[in-house]
Amino acid sequence: MRHIAIIFRRELGQYFNSPIAYFVAFAVLLLTGFTFNDDLAMRNGRAAVDPALPLIYLAQFSVFFVPLLTMRLLAEENREGTLELLMTLPLQDYQIVIGKFLGAWAYYTILISLTIVHQALLLWLNPADLGVAFAAYIGLWLFGGASIAVGMFFSALNENQIVAAFLGMAALLILWQADLVGNVISNRALAEFVRSLSFQSNYSYSFAIGIVRLDHTVFFLGVTGVLLLATAQIVQSRRWR
Amino acid sequence: MITVEALTKRYGRFTALRGISFQAESGEILGFLGPNGAGKTTTMRILTGYMPPSSGRAAVAGYDVFTDSLEVRKRVGYLPETVPLYPDMTVHGYVKYVAELRGVRNAASRADDVLRIVGMHTRRESLIRSISKGMRQRVGLAQALVHDPPVLILDEPTIGLDPRQTLEVRDLVRSLGKTHTIMFSTHILSEAEQVCDRVVIIHRGEIVAMDKPEALRDQLQQGAQLLVRLGKAESADVVRKALQNVVGVASVNALNDGFSVQARRGVDVRARIANAVAAAGWELLELRPLAMSLEDIFLELTVQQGAEANERL
Repeated sequence: MRHIAIIFRRELGQYFNSPIAYFVAFAVLLLTGFTFNDDLAMRNGRAAVDPALPLIYLAQFSVFFVPLLTMRLLAEENREGTLELLMTLPLQDYQIVIGKFLGAWAYYTILISLTIVHQALLLWLNPADLGVAFAAYIGLWLFGGASIAVGMFFSALNENQIVAAFLGMAALLILWQADLVGNVISNRALAEFVRSLSFQSNYSYSFAIGIVRLDHTVFFLGVTGVLLLATAQIVQSRRWR
Repeated sequence: MITVEALTKRYGRFTALRGISFQAESGEILGFLGPNGAGKTTTMRILTGYMPPSSGRAAVAGYDVFTDSLEVRKRVGYLPETVPLYPDMTVHGYVKYVAELRGVRNAASRADDVLRIVGMHTRRESLIRSISKGMRQRVGLAQALVHDPPVLILDEPTIGLDPRQTLEVRDLVRSLGKTHTIMFSTHILSEAEQVCDRVVIIHRGEIVAMDKPEALRDQLQQGAQLLVRLGKAESADVVRKALQNVVGVASVNALNDGFSVQARRGVDVRARIANAVAAAGWELLELRPLAMSLEDIFLELTVQQGAEANERL
């Protein structure tokens, strides 16, 4: 636990030491700000604004920016040779993976909590349904965890950060759109399975309308767990090469 | 302190180590010498618990590197060949981070202590990306020392340094050798000669020689070369023939200022050469063994091996 905490602290600190985290945060907030304003203007007093709307956009953007946050995590350690150091320190391989994951997730948490500004504005304009907002945030947080696990998996797979980021984006885009992917599969059982992996339907049709469903919660946590396990296996496999 | 028995490592079809065995006593500086690709890094990676051997066993401070990997890692300080640094961290922040992961008490002040030992204390707030190669090497060494391990494993710690930095690192290793068991790899032979108590020469995954640097030299020096210088300028041919006739001499070569005499293995020809020179009425100015450097020994050993390998093919 102590080891995980130390690695977590460094990873989180690293985001604030490097410009990429600030750029990503700036771009993400700018984008959600535009969409939020646009939505406000469109509805302009005629209908109540949906507090989950900026978060649905944010989930969509996550597909593209989360891999940028995670591409460094293991690829850089691999290339710089620091993974060799970590793997010869008295700690377990999974502790490295979990510490790094938690660091990235904490940064993501900070990032999404910045959008509370929009919620405050909504509250001021017209009292919105706080329950919906709350559920949407929980969903987005779980969604982010799963996305980070996906991105980190590809960061462990190869030493090149750009490749890691691109593969992460491709994988997340496919997962986001998995219901569409399922539509072009003729085998019914397989199609059902692929559709059930859709990040979009697991988020937009429950959390984003204010419902915290157990199955969707378990889905995101499950994806996170499976990918962290796979990532730890990849890290460990370096010892056997 | 370090025990290695019949250690073998295969990467797929390539065999990097072919059953090597050696030991390092407590407080010893063991030089690990070999050309690039000989298996030095592989051996060190096994000893530090980074990767398991294919067969054979290795133990550090009594703990098996495979079954008690964590115990071994607690007792070893490791400086890999590519110094493992985080460019975005400060010198002090980095050493403190490793100290914390190693569970060192008062990590921050201990980090300061080791930075003082390696002479990097004045740069403690510098970002690692901004310091020179020699400094990086020293920060890497600080990291390996931070938990005051009984065993230090240093993979080519002087590679890529300028001559002054090289000397500094060697001095540092020598002074650390008083209190630590050090295994030190290099492909620079004079370095091993200067720094190490004992040298293991490894080539193509096999140990070709293992002894004190002086003993290694003696061992191969038997029947080695002598330098003979005479006072009066006799015709080189006459002298060469006379020396050639001395019992036990294998060959004679004329040099600029004398003759080099190759004796047969295990024969001391010095007295007979002196007698022969005196009998001919010449003046003997100098008669001394041509010291073989570790360099020559190394070349001899590895070339022999290469020739044998070719024969087998």
